[in-house]
Amino acid sequence: MNKQMEQIDQLTREAVKEVFETMLSMEVSPEPPSPLTPDPAGEIIGSVGFIGEATGIIYLYAGIGFARVIAGRMLGVPESEVDPGEMVTDAIGELSNMVVGYVKSRLCNSGLPCTLTIPSVVRGQQLSVEGSALLTRRIIGFRNCTHHLLAEVLLKDSTTKEL
Amino acid sequence: MSIKILTIDDSRTIRLIVAKAFKPFDCMVLEAENGIVGLAVASREKPDIILLDYTMPVMDGFEVLGRLRADPDLKATPVIMLTAEAGRETVIKIAQLGVRDYLIKPFKGEVLVERVGRVVDLKAQNAVAKKNKRFDDPISILVVDDKPAIPAQVRAGLSDTPWKVTSVEQANQALEYCMANEVDVVLAGLSLPNDAAFTLYQNLRSHANTASIPVFGMCVRTATAEQARAQQTGFASVINKPIDPAELKTKISRILKLETLYRYFQEQDGALVLIVPKDFHSGMAQELSTYLQGQLVNTADAGGDKLIIDLNAVETVSSPIVELILPAIQSAIKLSLRCAVVGSEAIKKQCLDYEETQAWLFAGTFEQAMAALK
Repeated sequence: MNKQMEQIDQLTREAVKEVFETMLSMEVSPEPPSPLTPDPAGEIIGSVGFIGEATGIIYLYAGIGFARVIAGRMLGVPESEVDPGEMVTDAIGELSNMVVGYVKSRLCNSGLPCTLTIPSVVRGQQLSVEGSALLTRRIIGFRNCTHHLLAEVLLKDSTTKEL
Repeated sequence: MSIKILTIDDSRTIRLIVAKAFKPFDCMVLEAENGIVGLAVASREKPDIILLDYTMPVMDGFEVLGRLRADPDLKATPVIMLTAEAGRETVIKIAQLGVRDYLIKPFKGEVLVERVGRVVDLKAQNAVAKKNKRFDDPISILVVDDKPAIPAQVRAGLSDTPWKVTSVEQANQALEYCMANEVDVVLAGLSLPNDAAFTLYQNLRSHANTASIPVFGMCVRTATAEQARAQQTGFASVINKPIDPAELKTKISRILKLETLYRYFQEQDGALVLIVPKDFHSGMAQELSTYLQGQLVNTADAGGDKLIIDLNAVETVSSPIVELILPAIQSAIKLSLRCAVVGSEAIKKQCLDYEETQAWLFAGTFEQAMAALK
């Protein structure tokens, strides 16, 4: 279990770095996890699950302010032109899909076939994900200058039946 | 006509990224948010290429592709699959579906443009409005080869044209030059190290302002594998080394759609004059023949009654010249035009060596020909 979590932790770090560099031309570096800086506009979480020989879910957390920056960079438009509603939600969903797609592909290649779920996005204030005793949890922090992002990996224990 | 690109993706972000990537090009990007809508749009609009997401709700890319392939009207439409899943099994499955290509997310817009540019002919927006040049207009040619003899051959071969030849030794210099200057044609040596000509081709295709520059490969006649690869990649054509100037001029004229009519035809005193150029060759005969019937009809329509074939520039009367003139005279006679051939005594003698030319009316000058046809 620990070995699988270590593998997914490493893949998530690579995936976030790769997706940010390719789609946003933005460098992010991992850092010890810390709570997101409160954003008056709220927070957003994108998530995609993977089900199979490895089963779990990866959440990406960001403040709405950073999410607008992300959407603007992805679409190549100034932040001021980004609709904070649908455009931001869709961009975070796609970003999560790419990050978890990267992880999933490499899990499959290492002999852990799994399939992806459709991305989902949640918005609100002071969001957090409730864990369970059946799940192993890992949180990774990422930073780009003043911007802060968290990735949370929940991995199902392979001896249990349901997530 | 604009290229139609259909993007079928449940992510609005991806659809917007696709639309933005192709904005500099003369193309129309159609969007569909799921497979069902995508099939309806494809059926209605008949796109030139479809960019299809693999993982989608409602109907996934796999099923969409199956339905496209079952539709007689759409089965030949090229599809590039976009997927966030790059696992070996997924890639094999995608390849087996018969897609033209696949692209793993995340991807850069330039890579998407380059992949699509391999399948359809993307033209920059501003290139569409450009007027076709004439053969005697200045044209900018960039030669990319690490052997100095090659640009020297190209320069020498084109010295009788106003075309400007610039040369660089490396592919990265060529890309920089094309980005900073207006280049009409690139000639790239296929034997450049590390497949540099092929990389250059792909890099040129991925930038809006260089995507429509025709690229010719250059290699020796026996390098058949390189020639095949160049054609497969999308090179405009392959020029054999050593460079044959006539072949080079013809290929450049064709690819740039240079106006060449004026080189061959003139109207003088109510007569149509067909001028056979000094460097006449069989490739030129094909080009000239495409104009001939229209020119004869126009002459007859305008009340003209004479065709004069001017061989003054020619040094040797070759079989292709005779093969050009014979049908020209036959077509002219059908339109009741009278014909004469103008040339020196030596040319007349050479012509008469051919059995088919015995009935031709020869004259030493244009004025003598006009007098003879009165």
